[in-house]
Amino acid sequence: MHAVELEDVHVHVGGQHIIRGVTLNVPCNSVYVLMGPSGSGKTTLLRVINRLIDMVDGARVSGHVRVLGIDALKADPYALRRRVGMVSQIPNPFPHMTIYDNVAVAARINGVARGKREEGEVVEWALKKAMIWDEVKDRLHEHPHVLSGGQKQRLCLARALAMKAKVLLFDEPTANIDPVNARKLEGAISSLKDDATVIMVTHSPHQAARVADRVALIYEGRVLEEGAAKEVFLNPKDEFTVKFMRGEI
Amino acid sequence: MPSAARHDKLLFFSLVPSAVTLLGMLAAVIVVVLNGSWRSIADFGLDLFSKSVWIPGAERYGLLGPLIGSITSSLIAVAVSLLLSLSFSIFASDILRGRARDLASSLVELMGGMPTVIYALWAAQYLAPALRDFLMAPLHGYLGFIPLFSEEPVTGYSVFTAGVAMGVATVPYVSFLMTEAYSILPSTYREACLGIGASRLETAKILLSLCRPALLASLLLGLARAMGETTIAAMTVGNSMKVTACIIASGYTVPALVASQFGDASLYVYSESALYAASLVILSAALALSFVGLSLLSRWRSRILV
Amino acid sequence: MSRARSLKDKLFVFAVAAGFLLAVAPLFHLAVVVFERGIPALVESGLGFFTDGPPSPLSTEVGGIAPAISGSLILLALSLPIVVLIALFASLLTLEFPGNPVSKAVDVAARSFASVPTIVVSMAVYSLVVVPAGRFSALAGAVALVMVSLPYAYTSFSTALRSIPSTYREAAYFIAMKRWTALIRVVIPMAKKQMASGVLMTMARIVGETAAIMFVVGRFRAGIQVLPDQPVDAIPLLIFDYALAPYPVFHKVAWGAALVLLLSYAAVFVATKMLVREVKL
Repeated sequence: MHAVELEDVHVHVGGQHIIRGVTLNVPCNSVYVLMGPSGSGKTTLLRVINRLIDMVDGARVSGHVRVLGIDALKADPYALRRRVGMVSQIPNPFPHMTIYDNVAVAARINGVARGKREEGEVVEWALKKAMIWDEVKDRLHEHPHVLSGGQKQRLCLARALAMKAKVLLFDEPTANIDPVNARKLEGAISSLKDDATVIMVTHSPHQAARVADRVALIYEGRVLEEGAAKEVFLNPKDEFTVKFMRGEI
Repeated sequence: MPSAARHDKLLFFSLVPSAVTLLGMLAAVIVVVLNGSWRSIADFGLDLFSKSVWIPGAERYGLLGPLIGSITSSLIAVAVSLLLSLSFSIFASDILRGRARDLASSLVELMGGMPTVIYALWAAQYLAPALRDFLMAPLHGYLGFIPLFSEEPVTGYSVFTAGVAMGVATVPYVSFLMTEAYSILPSTYREACLGIGASRLETAKILLSLCRPALLASLLLGLARAMGETTIAAMTVGNSMKVTACIIASGYTVPALVASQFGDASLYVYSESALYAASLVILSAALALSFVGLSLLSRWRSRILV
Repeated sequence: MSRARSLKDKLFVFAVAAGFLLAVAPLFHLAVVVFERGIPALVESGLGFFTDGPPSPLSTEVGGIAPAISGSLILLALSLPIVVLIALFASLLTLEFPGNPVSKAVDVAARSFASVPTIVVSMAVYSLVVVPAGRFSALAGAVALVMVSLPYAYTSFSTALRSIPSTYREAAYFIAMKRWTALIRVVIPMAKKQMASGVLMTMARIVGETAAIMFVVGRFRAGIQVLPDQPVDAIPLLIFDYALAPYPVFHKVAWGAALVLLLSYAAVFVATKMLVREVKL
C-alpha cells in the first residue's frame, strides 16, 4: 500500500522545466527521503504533494499524483492539505499567537478537537510527540519569540502533528538550526512513522542515512536512483550517487 | 496550474468591487476633465493656449500666463528641492549614525505629512517678505537690466516666491525618494569605495553616479507634485495674468487660477470649461511625469538589486 | 590624504551639513511662528475658540472656529471608514493575486491617482456630485477626500502587508487554512500595527487636505452643522480663506486655526511613531 504515488510528474514554471518526469511510490508508515544537491527540484516536488505549488505564479503541473488514494491534482487543495502536514526550512511559528495557540489553531481549523478539554489534550499530545513538551509546558501562554531556533522548529512540528495528518512533509527541517536540536528533531521524525508517512527533503546524505527507510536521489528534476536506504547507500548503482554521498557534488 | 479552488475564486470576486471602485474613480476624474474642457478647446482653439487673458464678463479666456507660471514655478521648486534634498540624503545616509539618522528620517516624515495650508500660511507671511527683502530686491537692484529681474518686487508675491515655497514643501517627498534610492544601494559598493581609500566626497560622487536614474526619477516625481500644488501657489504667486520674462513679478499658476476662479465659474458660459482645459494640461503633465518617473525607478531598482 | 584633498572633503561635509540644516530649518521656523501667532488667538477667546463661530470682518472679538472643527470631524468620519475599507480590500487583492490583470490595473491606477492634482479632484467631484445634487455637502467632500487619500492608504497598507515574510503565509497554508482565513488570522494580525499607523497617517492627510474640498463642501460658517447632506466647513479651508482675506481679525483666527491643526497633526504623528516603535521590539 502506497501513501503517495507520483507518476510521470512534470512541473513548468514560466519557461523553465523544473521537474522532468518523476515517478515515485512512497510506502505507508515509512520515512522516505528525497536527497540531492540544492536546486535539483526536491522542494518543488514536495510542494506538488500538498499543492502549495498553486501559490507560485505561472506554475503548471502535469502527470498523476495520488495522495492517500485521492487524485491530488484534481482535489480541492484545502481538503488535500488537511491530510498532509508540512514543516519548512525556516522555523515559522506564528509570532502573534501564544505557544499553545500555535498548536491549537491547527487542531481547531481542521476539526481535530471538539471543546477546550479535547483541544488541550491534542496540544499536549503533539508537543510531547515533537519532544518539546518538557521545555514549554510551563510557558504555554508565552509567545514563541522566547524559544530558540531549534525549539521553534519543534513547535512547528507539533503544529503539523496537531492536524493529525497522515502524510507529513519536511523540507530540510534542520537546515537552519544547531546540531543538538537537529538530532532531537531527527529523533522525533523517526518516531512519527507509527502514525503517519514521512517524506523529507535534505541535501545531506548523512542525514538521509540516519533517518531514511527509502531514498530517492533527485538531480535536475529527475530521479537518478531510488530504493531501500540500505541498498542505495551500500551498493549505489549510479556514479553520480557515489559522488553525492562522498560530498563531491 | 491545477484548477484553482472555489474559495480562491470567491475571495477574488469579493475583493474585486474595491478594485472597480478605485479604477472607476480615476476614470471618472479623467472623463470629467476631458468632457469639461472639450467645449472651450473646440470654440477657442489655439487662442486658449497662446493668449493670456481672463475676462469672464466678456467671455475672453487665454491660459498662456498660468501655464508658463506653472512650468516656471515648478522648475524653480525642483531646483530648490534638488539642492536641499540631495544634501539631506547624503548627510542623513553617510554622515549621521544611529539615533541621529532615525531622528532625521522622522523629521522628513513629519514635514512630509504636514498640511500644506500651514506651509502656505508660513510662506505667504514670512517667506515672501524675507525673499523680497534679502533676495529679490538686491537681484533687482544690481541685476535689474536682466529681463528675469526687471520688475521691482513690491509685495514679494511672485512666481519665484511660489517656486521656492513649493520647493521647500516638496523637499520631504524628494528627500524621502532620494534617501531610499541612496540606501537601497548594496553595501558592497560603499565598502568598495572605502576599501580604495576614497574620501567622503569621492565616495558620495561614486555612489550618486550609481543612482543617477533614481535621482532623476525623484526629480520628475517632485515636478509632478509641484505642478499640482494649489494652496501654496495660490497664496504666494500674486495672481496676475500678465505674461512677463521677469520671475520676480507676480504671475499665476494653473491651480492658483482654478482656486481663485472656479467658485464663480458657473456664472459664465466658458469659464468652467476654460479652467477644465487648463487642468487637463497639468493633469496630463503630472500623469506623464509620474509615469516616466516610476518606470525609471522600477527599472533602476531591478538592475541595481541583482 | 593631501592637504588640498582633505580641505575639499571638509568643504564638502560642511556644504552638505548646511544643505541639511536649510532643508529642515523651515519646519522649526514654521513651528515657532505658528505658536507665536496662534497662541494669542487661543488665549484671547479661550475655550470659546472651540465652541464659537468665526468673527465678522470688523469685529474686535476673535470668536472661534467651531463650525470648521465640527466640519472637519464630520468629513473625517464620513471618509475615513470608506478609504480604509477600499484600500484594505484593494491591497489584499494585489497581495493575493499579484499576476492577475485586475491587480496590475489597480496597482497602476493607485500610483497614477497619487499624481492627480488634488484641486482637479475637487473640480471633478463638483461636476459629478455637487451639480447633480444641487448643493454643496459634507458627502461631496467625503467623496473628494476618499479619492485623494485612497492611493496613500493603499500604498501604506500594501507596504505593511508585504512586509510579512511569505514563510508565515505558507505556514498558514501548511495547516490547511484557506486564503481568507490566512489573511484574517495570520497576515493582517501580524501587520496590524503598521496598518494602524497607515490609518493614522491617512487620517492626518484627510484632516489637512485643502484643495480637494475647495469647491465641494460649501464653507458653511454660520453654525455647527452635523447632517451629511448639508454644507460644512473645514479647518484648512478656513485657514486658506481667512489668510487671503484683508481683515486683521481674520488673520488672527487663521493663525489660531493653524495652531490647532498643527497640534492635532503632531499628536497623530507621535502616535504613529509610538505604534511602529513597538513593532520593532
